[in-house]
Amino acid sequence: MNLRLLYLLLAVVLVLWVLTPIFLITTLAFSDRASVFAWPKGFLPQQFSLETITFFFGVEGVWKAIRNSLVVAAMTLAFSILLGAPAGYALARYRFAGADSYRVLILLTRAFPLAILAIPLAVQFINLGIYDTPFGVALVHTALALPFAVLVTSSLFLGIPKELEEAAWTLGCNRIQAFLRVVLPLAIPGLAATAIFAFVISWNEVFAATLLTLRERTLPAFLLTSLNDSPLPFRFAGGFFLIVPALIFIFIIRRYLFTLWGIANR
Amino acid sequence: MRSERYIPYVLILPSVLFLLLLFAWPLVEALLLSVRGSGGGWTLENFQRMAADLYFRDALKYTLLLTVVIVPLQVVMALGMALLLGSISKGRDLFLYVWTIPLGISDLAAGIVWLAIFTERGYLNSFLQGIGVIQQPQLWLSYETPMMIFVAVVAAEVWRATAIVFVILVAGLQLIPKEYSEAAEVFGATPWQRFRKVTLPLLMPSLQVALILRTILALEVFAVVVVLGGRNLPVLAGEAYFWYNTYQNPGVAAAYAVIILGISVVATLLYLRLLRSRQDGVA
Amino acid sequence: MAGIRVESIEKTFGKFKALSGVSLEVRDQEFVVLLGPSGCGKTTLLRIIAGLEYAERGRVWIGDRDVTQLPPRARKIAMVFQNYAVFPHLTVFENIAFGLRMQKVSAEKLGAGVERAATLMHIENLLERYPAQLSGGQRQRVAVARALAVEPEVLLMDEPLSNLDALLRLEMRAELKRLLIESRTTTLYVTHDQVEAMSLADRIAVMNTGYLVQFDEPMKVYQEPANTFVGGFIGSPPMNFLRLPVEGRQARIQSLALDLPTGVSSQEVLLGVRPEDLEAHTQQQPQSFPAEVLVVEPLGPHLLLTLSFGKQHIKATVPPDFDVRAGQTLWLRPQPDRLRWLDPSNGQAIPMR
Repeated sequence: MNLRLLYLLLAVVLVLWVLTPIFLITTLAFSDRASVFAWPKGFLPQQFSLETITFFFGVEGVWKAIRNSLVVAAMTLAFSILLGAPAGYALARYRFAGADSYRVLILLTRAFPLAILAIPLAVQFINLGIYDTPFGVALVHTALALPFAVLVTSSLFLGIPKELEEAAWTLGCNRIQAFLRVVLPLAIPGLAATAIFAFVISWNEVFAATLLTLRERTLPAFLLTSLNDSPLPFRFAGGFFLIVPALIFIFIIRRYLFTLWGIANR
Repeated sequence: MRSERYIPYVLILPSVLFLLLLFAWPLVEALLLSVRGSGGGWTLENFQRMAADLYFRDALKYTLLLTVVIVPLQVVMALGMALLLGSISKGRDLFLYVWTIPLGISDLAAGIVWLAIFTERGYLNSFLQGIGVIQQPQLWLSYETPMMIFVAVVAAEVWRATAIVFVILVAGLQLIPKEYSEAAEVFGATPWQRFRKVTLPLLMPSLQVALILRTILALEVFAVVVVLGGRNLPVLAGEAYFWYNTYQNPGVAAAYAVIILGISVVATLLYLRLLRSRQDGVA
Repeated sequence: MAGIRVESIEKTFGKFKALSGVSLEVRDQEFVVLLGPSGCGKTTLLRIIAGLEYAERGRVWIGDRDVTQLPPRARKIAMVFQNYAVFPHLTVFENIAFGLRMQKVSAEKLGAGVERAATLMHIENLLERYPAQLSGGQRQRVAVARALAVEPEVLLMDEPLSNLDALLRLEMRAELKRLLIESRTTTLYVTHDQVEAMSLADRIAVMNTGYLVQFDEPMKVYQEPANTFVGGFIGSPPMNFLRLPVEGRQARIQSLALDLPTGVSSQEVLLGVRPEDLEAHTQQQPQSFPAEVLVVEPLGPHLLLTLSFGKQHIKATVPPDFDVRAGQTLWLRPQPDRLRWLDPSNGQAIPMR
């Protein structure tokens, strides 16, 4: 009985460990300027104010950076699903020579810090004219998200019995009809989770985004490059704003977390 | 109808092409870039410049040190959390959700969050003042206190990225049938023996994945360090960034990239070799 | 309605030869069961007929159409899968209507078709439900109704009852029989359950290791197995095979001599006899041979005896009130008109004449 209580206590401590820093940054983001610089600080919010947040959004370039971030993340999402889902479907449904080599290629990407590849790519992107464009950044982010998309959608399609598709074929569907009428409706929630995951990967990525842009910064790139000459309230508000969408996304896809990461074992 | 054999190839082709263009090619390109001189010929000039740079030794040292400290800490903590989760019945889903929240948080955001704690007028100093340890705000994140920056980076990284390891391990634990542990219990194994002899070996594939993933990510640690320490705690990825952006020298930046890639590959191979599980043959 | 004809079908998976030249003809409105152990190729054959697999060699006809190269949707078949394959995201109504919708039939025809199929399977009150809200037996009914709704020329069923529990299986078996007699749809039905095969089939096609071994009416297959495999696979307990010496035109079991069909020239011969065709007596009888009782298993309707005859084991069934103990010697009298003679060198039956 005591042991159980100890476990519970430990669990709660871990909850506090995760939540306290988030709570603190939230407090700072919704305080006025004076409280941000106050010393010593109280742990509880002093007074609610939108001053810091308003200041953040008032800084020139923030809105553009947010828009760029959204555009890049949306492109990454689309590319990852469009490229990844068909491959995942092929891995799940067909036995073909080369399937194993393909799996190795996908797993191989895990052995490399892909964001670092932005350095050689930056040089090439300049030549190709896609340097400093959301499209260029989205390409690199897709390289980060694509292996996930392939593996996750593959396990997703594996979870949909092949017989459902075959039943549809015997009932008069061709392959495309069977996919659209039977497989897709069943795969939609998982595909959505995969898409959101790709979105978050892109939204959070900073190294490649910083390296590949100059004027068309994404939000993380914008924050990072203006760190040195920006006041603390700006940084805190920026940090808070970066966290919020991520929190919501993780909440939405929490049911699929283990599908997303559990397949890492396969 | 037999010509359906081409279908899977059509389906994987786009992703293969994409990965060739944005994974394989830049890998080669990074190598080429690092050994190509300004004149166009082959040279080790970039590596020499990199090695001669004041920051290089520190960057290498701190990157490896951070990896060696952070990764084991995360694995132990995540393993503890995963086992703890198994012994909690009430509110399991809630704990699971809260503990995995950091999954969605970027390294940049995590750096900023912990900046709020470690900065001069931050929560750490407020807390220390509150319990009477200090009177005046202490400067933790300056070039004079690289150890403290180091600690702050470790705290931020452990806070942010333990969740990934945790989720991988929980997923791995779910794959282990309860019967094994129960069988061991029937034969009189203590909880510790059950963990050592049954759970841990069966969890090896997951641990391997988690270790590889986390090590790779730790080797490219960047934003957290930049936010908390600027260049006062140099790391390899940060140097690559500075050489590319500030010094406008892609060659040396590529040399750094090659170093990071090289260490990553070595680390991955090492893990694959050291943690080879007996099930590998079957799988 | 149409018959099915397959001609010398061959299929390999990698190095594994799944089907080695199988030919089979199912008559119009006939109910044929493909029976065999797992891995014998029966499901593969069914899937080739459905168009879900393609054979390396051989042709498939449905009616007088050569469908060998046609995709499943063009074959005018319907299939019931082992795991039902009921679409989980559609209601029962939409599941049953699925095939009709693909045929783009009018709204009235669609409604009527669904209703007819649902009524046939007694699930007309479940039409609004989703499969997750149904029991295994109900899902099974939906799967059959969905197949019948399209009024296929040929109905293919792949172990449709194997996922049901024993009691439900018995019930569904009887119902399927009624249903298929009513609907008179040509049906090819795969199972590994010999009782199911016996009870349902007009004719049974017994398969083993990729070959069609015997294709005949159930009682023929039971009483006159084409070889030792069929005799052993069908019937529970299986047929006894006794290796006996040949003397002239007779086979000897101790003092008992049994007439052989003409054309046996070998030294030995196999006698195939069903356990229920061995009449057991405690006293010596004419036309019988002695065997020692090893095990007595009371099974309810009868006792199952395992006896030893020399080095060979024999199974025999006796009435439940038969008083017998292990160690006792019994006299077994084979029913002379129920004997089957087989060639010990290849296990093939020797034709009776």
